[in-house]
Amino acid sequence: MTQVMKDVRVLEVAQFTFVPAAGGVLTDWGAEVIKIEHPVRGDAQRGLKVLQRLAVNPQRAATMHHSNRGKKSVGIDISNEQGLQLLYEIAATCDVFLTNFLPAARQKLKIDVEHIRRANPNIIYARGSALGDKGPERESGGFDSTAFWARGGSAVLATPKELDGPLGMPGPAYGDTIGAMFIAGGISAALFHRERTGVASVVDVSLLSSGVWATGLGHDVAMDLNTLPFTQPLPVNGGIVEGSQNPFMSVYKTRDDRPIQLCVLTPGPYIQDTFEHLHLDHLMQDERFNTPEALMANANLCAPYIAEAFACHSFSYWTERLRTMKGQWAVYQNSLEVAQDPQVLANGMIYEVESADGGPPIRLVANPVQFDGEPVSNTRGPEANEHTELFLMDLGLDWERITALKDNGAIA
Amino acid sequence: MDLKPGARLKSAVCSAEFVVVRAGTGIDELSCGGAPLVAQDVTIEAYAAIAAGLDGGVGLGKRYLDETSGLELLASKAGLGSLTVDGRRMAPKEAKPLPSSD
Repeated sequence: MTQVMKDVRVLEVAQFTFVPAAGGVLTDWGAEVIKIEHPVRGDAQRGLKVLQRLAVNPQRAATMHHSNRGKKSVGIDISNEQGLQLLYEIAATCDVFLTNFLPAARQKLKIDVEHIRRANPNIIYARGSALGDKGPERESGGFDSTAFWARGGSAVLATPKELDGPLGMPGPAYGDTIGAMFIAGGISAALFHRERTGVASVVDVSLLSSGVWATGLGHDVAMDLNTLPFTQPLPVNGGIVEGSQNPFMSVYKTRDDRPIQLCVLTPGPYIQDTFEHLHLDHLMQDERFNTPEALMANANLCAPYIAEAFACHSFSYWTERLRTMKGQWAVYQNSLEVAQDPQVLANGMIYEVESADGGPPIRLVANPVQFDGEPVSNTRGPEANEHTELFLMDLGLDWERITALKDNGAIA
Repeated sequence: MDLKPGARLKSAVCSAEFVVVRAGTGIDELSCGGAPLVAQDVTIEAYAAIAAGLDGGVGLGKRYLDETSGLELLASKAGLGSLTVDGRRMAPKEAKPLPSSD
């Protein structure tokens, strides 16, 4: 793939997923990302020992490789004066500074905009936060389950009102991973702006702004109408969404209890083709269903026929059978099915990196953007502190100084 | 043997390669899989056999520490042997994050 970020150097002082994953996206695009970790503790994310009751193998932990693919890990204690000076020296060679430290911590550590800009006036300063850089809560932390999902509006929009509580986020780091792409996009735009004008910007993305944007159309319509028009119906096999009056817009269960989504928004041109694929040819002779107007007027009478048809055959039968249907439909896939979806694989949405433990390659989901029709190739995330000395040598430090920094505790 | 920081060494029993990132003092023998490490530019015709019990393996990007001498090595290539300093097993140096769950 074209390395559109080649020769862009990013200095990352960040932990967990939201902001580090933005650095990971930039490595997918060819950037060099220097990840500063505490020389002893490492990124706090490395402390994730258990995920959904499953033990995490630290050598292969996807929790690290997802967000830190392709990076160099340089262990520096930036609360140490010599460590901080070293950070400034590195910043002087970088295009972007990327952080999720809170404002008070950035001030205390002297890594806020004014400090980093003193070391490098042309550096783009990108900060990811929970709740934004302004307002009474700018100093508060947060996770995607709180700031993105709960507060940003997604949870309420996703949850049928009949349920006793809001649904949780779909999988780990869902909001983080979406938001990371927004940070990477913002950094790209800032790099373009700097190239055009010479002016380096400060880039802000929060989990809250990401969550509010992801549900933005729903919020926009609600604000326009000053009401809450969007609700999630409780799923019912063959249930017709209130107001849609379209039996080709529903979820139906196969004989082996797997849901299939029919999504034929405008049924008119597709009535015959859809009925034929469902072995319901005889309904074309039924005046209740054989014109668009009749079909929609009698949606609730038609849905049981479709439900009965789906219930006659297995999931694998229907996925094969519906391949030639003209209207839109989809299977609901779990992660392992996504991982072998031929369309996912044909488009390079998953790639392999070599594992540090010598075991089989680690499969990772690629960032969603490709350049020039080529899939991404990248390397695994680093071990903590993996590149410290070699990177510092490349930076021009000699072993005498590296040893002095070790003796001082600035690096380990 | 030159154990100055920055020195590049390799195993005589496997594919492992190392960078000395912290010098040690008073070291007589630094071995991998029971055979002394050699300078990276030395040609090895055939790997020596790995001594019994010294086949714990070397992980790429991992650091190995001998507390007694202070020697620390960074593995720049993975391999099959175990590192020893004067018979003492070198211990992998792991990040020590606070435990958490998700």
